[in-house]
Amino acid sequence: MKRILQSLLLPLALVLLMGADNQEARFQKVGSKIMCTCSCAQMLLQCDHVGCPNSDQMRSQLRAQVAKTSNDEEILDWFRTSWGVTAVVEPRTHGFELLAWILPPAGLGLGLLAVLFVIRKWKMQPAPVAAADLNLAPDLEALRDRARRETEI
Amino acid sequence: MPLLGSFCLLFALALAAYCFVVGVIAAVRKDAVGYRLAETARRAGMASFAAVLVAAGALVYAALTDDFSVAYILHHSNRALPGPYKFAVLWSGQEGSVLFWALLLSAYGFVLRLRHKVDQRLVAMASMVLAGIQVFFLVLANFAANPFGIMDRVAADGSGLNPLLQYPEMVIHPPMLYLGYVGVSVPFAFALAALIMRYPGEKWIHITRRWTMVAWLFLTFGISLGAHWAYAVLGWGGYWGWDPVENASLLPWLSTTAFLHSVMMQEKRGMMKVWNVWLIFITFMLSILGTMLTRSGMVSSVHAFAQSSIGTWFSAFLAITAVVCIVVFVLNRDHLHSENQLESLVSRESSFMFNNLLLLGACFAVLCGTLFPMLSEAVRDVKMNLGAPFYNKVMVPIGLLLIFLTAVGPLLAWRNTSVGSIKRNFAIPGTVALLVEVVVGAMLVKNGIRFWTDVGQMYAMLAFCLSTLVIATVASEFIRGGIVWKNKLQTNIFAGMYQLSRRNMRRYGGYVVHFGVVLVVIGLAGAAFDRDQEQEMATGDKIEIGRYTVVSKAYTEDDNANYGSRAALLDVYKNGKFLTQLNPEERRFKASGGQPVHIVANHSTLREDLYVTFQGLNDQTGHPIIKAIINPLVNWIWIGVLVIVLGTGMALVPNATPMSVPVPSTVALANMEKQGMQPAGVGK
Repeated sequence: MKRILQSLLLPLALVLLMGADNQEARFQKVGSKIMCTCSCAQMLLQCDHVGCPNSDQMRSQLRAQVAKTSNDEEILDWFRTSWGVTAVVEPRTHGFELLAWILPPAGLGLGLLAVLFVIRKWKMQPAPVAAADLNLAPDLEALRDRARRETEI
Repeated sequence: MPLLGSFCLLFALALAAYCFVVGVIAAVRKDAVGYRLAETARRAGMASFAAVLVAAGALVYAALTDDFSVAYILHHSNRALPGPYKFAVLWSGQEGSVLFWALLLSAYGFVLRLRHKVDQRLVAMASMVLAGIQVFFLVLANFAANPFGIMDRVAADGSGLNPLLQYPEMVIHPPMLYLGYVGVSVPFAFALAALIMRYPGEKWIHITRRWTMVAWLFLTFGISLGAHWAYAVLGWGGYWGWDPVENASLLPWLSTTAFLHSVMMQEKRGMMKVWNVWLIFITFMLSILGTMLTRSGMVSSVHAFAQSSIGTWFSAFLAITAVVCIVVFVLNRDHLHSENQLESLVSRESSFMFNNLLLLGACFAVLCGTLFPMLSEAVRDVKMNLGAPFYNKVMVPIGLLLIFLTAVGPLLAWRNTSVGSIKRNFAIPGTVALLVEVVVGAMLVKNGIRFWTDVGQMYAMLAFCLSTLVIATVASEFIRGGIVWKNKLQTNIFAGMYQLSRRNMRRYGGYVVHFGVVLVVIGLAGAAFDRDQEQEMATGDKIEIGRYTVVSKAYTEDDNANYGSRAALLDVYKNGKFLTQLNPEERRFKASGGQPVHIVANHSTLREDLYVTFQGLNDQTGHPIIKAIINPLVNWIWIGVLVIVLGTGMALVPNATPMSVPVPSTVALANMEKQGMQPAGVGK
């Protein structure tokens, strides 16, 4: 069991630890976190309105910011300041927006605790009456044996 | 016709109200008079379907005959609109879609009431619950969103249908999704009825199993049609943008999926009764919430309807539903005690519990993300939208854990599974999965993709590995069972597999669904390897992307009564050889003020799609701007959906009558054990 757990945790750790930034893809990466502010409800890089009043300007500003600074978070903050907090669709990891990051894992964690509680409760219930105590007919018992064998119970 | 429609809507409301009120009286009386009253309520419920059908027919007739005296037709149709889209006008606007909801609900109710002999008392109570829901939607259709409002002056032409909806799939997608949304009302009605009646046994679950699967099937198909429409029409190269309205359809899908799994615990072991009842209650409430989000304008979305007062009605209905569910549960919760205990953590039961935890966790995460703008507005007075980066970070790990459970769960036995059995069952699938992972990794490296440098691509690799594990475990289940039947019937392995499936359609249909799901997952994982390029293309200009060269040949314009269009003619070469010609197009619909719609040109193969869109014209040069995207493995998603539909269809088919086969002798069983084979039913 320990080995199985180790072999599962290893790839997960690799996934979490690896993934260095590809500098060439920064425009796409940061752009995928910004929303067009023309009320079209589309992401900046997906906004396809010909004649959109904002998207072209925002894209060129993004290119300029990517060239100017190497810190992606600074770029996102620049957009929050220039176009409003609604321009960035990835919440910050501090302040009120942290709540968005905390709620899903907290819900999952509480759910896990509930599942473990239910499992514990079930395991503490008295065991069902043993089959041997029921004086089952021999042929029924044979069928039960076969069922156990075939279902590996 | 509008007058007839209005009258029928009112009449339908009266009939549904009669069905509900008299149903309550009949349920309270429980005597011969009550029985007769229940029968009249049932007939009134069935008649309400006919009335709503006539009302919906009247609206469609008004659309087909360009009756612009009806405000709804004026705002959602025009003379040049092709016939099928005029039919689709029924569900294209707020008022029509409420009427459509009421129509589908009364249609489900009609079938339910028609089949009342399944269990007359339970169906009578469920019919009463369903009538209550019908009353809400018919009140809405009559007083808050009446589609038969008449204009003071009759206009010469209408404003036209939303251009984004003028696409063949859009004629099918909304009805499919609505059938799913509305379909969950039926298991909800049965669950509430069974709880109110303190109905003994699990009969309500047996009755509603097919209803739930049908609703789930429609939801699945509807969601995937919507994804395909987004891919083919919106022109941004993706199929899922975590838009609030998309999320609204995913919420009940996730909870219904959880219910379809956990309900097996109740059927087979009499466990998780409280959980199942609440799952179906929550699923129904999520379907109402989804409808509310789409129609109230509470959230910003490319396909939400405009802001209106209808959201208040939905909020009130949601609150009433929640109160009713809580009260009924509190009064009858002692009826829902578990009949068995969990014997081991390594068992099918616990795998279902963790499966439910993850599905509900995913549902909660999507709900948080969808409602966060409203929370943010309430707290900070700013509507902070959450987009794909947030959802991808939260949902991908949950999704990967779910695929892992999809691989492991079906191979665990009920009650308890030995370590030896786990080793035996997983040795071959695990080895196959690792081998495939190595091969895929080598192929990517050969193509110059350093997947270990990108988190998304690492997740994709993990998804490939786990998906292969699922496919291998599903295949091993079919092969092992097929061999047993082959030996029993002295036939070939395929006939053995067929016999195996026919004897337990639900189980093996479920495996096919799992297979379809992992095909979808493989397709989704392909998105981590997308590439795109956009440039202005004068005649003769080229875009080099992946193995393809796209060459601009010409640029054309066209005009008809409904829309004007601009298109590029592009030759596509693959590895230097001519492959095909693509014509990406942009249409501007006249009745809608010239809003552009992209008609994507797509060369699709199993390996990848070459997806080309017409992005507009450069005002200075007059040359078209073309965007080319390589989307790997997208076709696997659509194929996977078809496999899911096939698997669900299989699971809906009744099992074959048990056939008489010679029972293997003790010697034969011993021989099978020596050969490492197991009789059919392992892990069942």
